[in-house]
Amino acid sequence: MGPETVINSLRQQITSCESQLQDLKRQLAEAEYQSQQQRSNLQSEQSEHCAPYPLAYDFSHGVHDDFRAEILAALSQPEESIPSPKRWPLDPNEYKRYGRQLIMPEIGLQGQLRLKGASVLIVGVGGLGCPAAAYLVGAGVGTVGLVDGDTVEESNLHRQILHSAARVNMPKVESAMIALHSLNPNVDMVPHHGRLTPETAVSTFQPYDLVLDCTDTPASRYLVSDTCVLLGKPLVSASALRTDGQLMVLNYPPRPPGDTAGGPCYRCVFPKPPPPESVVSCGDGGILGPVVGTMGVLQALETIKILTRGPSALSDGLASPDPPSLLIFSAYANPMFRTIRLRTRKPKCAVCSTHATITPEVLNSGSLDYVQFCGTINPIDVLSSNERISAENYAKIRLDVNPFTGLEPSKDSHILLDVREKVQFEICSLEGSVNIPFSTISSTPADDCKGTATETGLESGWVSELRQHTDKPIFVVCRLGNDSQITVKKMKELGLDNGGQRWIGDIRGGLRAWRHNVDRDFPDY
Amino acid sequence: MAPSKAPTGHFSILYFAAASTFTNKASEHLPAPAEARNLFSKLEELYPGIKDKVLSSCAVTVNMAYIDIDGDDAPDLELVIKDGDEVAIIPPVSSG
Repeated sequence: MGPETVINSLRQQITSCESQLQDLKRQLAEAEYQSQQQRSNLQSEQSEHCAPYPLAYDFSHGVHDDFRAEILAALSQPEESIPSPKRWPLDPNEYKRYGRQLIMPEIGLQGQLRLKGASVLIVGVGGLGCPAAAYLVGAGVGTVGLVDGDTVEESNLHRQILHSAARVNMPKVESAMIALHSLNPNVDMVPHHGRLTPETAVSTFQPYDLVLDCTDTPASRYLVSDTCVLLGKPLVSASALRTDGQLMVLNYPPRPPGDTAGGPCYRCVFPKPPPPESVVSCGDGGILGPVVGTMGVLQALETIKILTRGPSALSDGLASPDPPSLLIFSAYANPMFRTIRLRTRKPKCAVCSTHATITPEVLNSGSLDYVQFCGTINPIDVLSSNERISAENYAKIRLDVNPFTGLEPSKDSHILLDVREKVQFEICSLEGSVNIPFSTISSTPADDCKGTATETGLESGWVSELRQHTDKPIFVVCRLGNDSQITVKKMKELGLDNGGQRWIGDIRGGLRAWRHNVDRDFPDY
Repeated sequence: MAPSKAPTGHFSILYFAAASTFTNKASEHLPAPAEARNLFSKLEELYPGIKDKVLSSCAVTVNMAYIDIDGDDAPDLELVIKDGDEVAIIPPVSSG
């Protein structure tokens, strides 16, 4: 290990310790404040009882000392020794802490007591779960359970507001609990480490009144919804990607499966999962912090609305005052919010209708494969080994002799084609590379080739451009090495390899492999 | 941005999330009247591949209300999309 690495590591450790120390100090201050509050309340109660000593004057005249001492002892007996019923339903510090919402007619004392008596499970402590948890813990929900199997990554911090730089690599559940405890130590927090599975879902959900779906895959969304229907729990579900978000209150009122008065479930709205190759994660598609934050905050809001409506609204007593709806948020559209009226339960829903095939037994047995239901994508591997080159060997081509063509290194010896989208190409790229975004390539019709289109002059610009340099080999690179393979195939279909005379291949593992094996300084975004 | 009012003889169609990415549009106008049962094939004509890649899992609404046109016995196949109606294609967003 070089001295630089040691210095960096020490710096990181110091930052981490300092931030932990700060957290502890904050928690200590909070605890000291509370204990001081309790002590001063105690004192003021005591002094109320013995303060004026109304008889003190009289007793000093002609009353026997022993008798006087006895009376005074009886009078000054602090009331604490006699067990008394609780005078106020909330603790003294709770009136202060929740005062701003307590004085609103929507909440009031009853609402606050309902929040205090409620337990809520938050599945996923990421971009949605962090703000949702912060507001629910802030509002004084009595018990909050947190489910997550991931650890904090640096790329989470721009939106997952409970985590911090010092807690990178810490389990998300643990990191969130530290932040939430320093926010409101009155709330009971229950950690559930690990990802939710069909086998654990029922037992995990059972003790809670309401569930928030803050997960990030189609499979987990169906699992969370099915479990809520089977256990009769209302579900507040939200999602976000790029600049879009969706919010639904599902299975509310939470009537048993087959009861048409119950609210629709996730399957009623989206019976079929999206094809797996079309599912984009925040890591691949991107996400704007305030977009996912907005959705998480709205989840907390809907949860507070349901919980403060009272136990009759939670059980199957009352119908929901709001008809089921889907709120769509599009940050760059006008208007930003749209509300879609949803139907009631779908007559043939697989879980909440009389035709239900999904039962608690089926779920518990683990025989339902949600991952399979939603489909998986195999890693793309469509090229033969002589159509691929490792990042290290490509680096040699840039510096040494080309092992395929025997050409001396020169910037002009080949074409390096980067097929990432333009915005990514602009973040960082290899010197001399040309950018043709994958979206442009994949939207070019495959029959746009070999003769017809070329002759008619209707060929896409990028294709004819590449056709001009018939002798130069083309190296295709992308972020991870998937799109590059598809591009190579497509270019051969378009006849850009001149019937095999020109070498076209991809750089295995893309720019990630380049960073890993060749240039450690290449930005990791 | 805000979709303009559909010209006479047309309805507006809004594309959200993956549907907007696929069509590269937020909205457009299509000829009305149109039968709901033909909506997906019409869109497939305009955007080859959209049916399998996007529409199969989408929620569809007419004038902000959910319609069910999924399957041969779906309740809303007979519905007619009229002049000036607003249709929305809403793919499930699952990230978070």
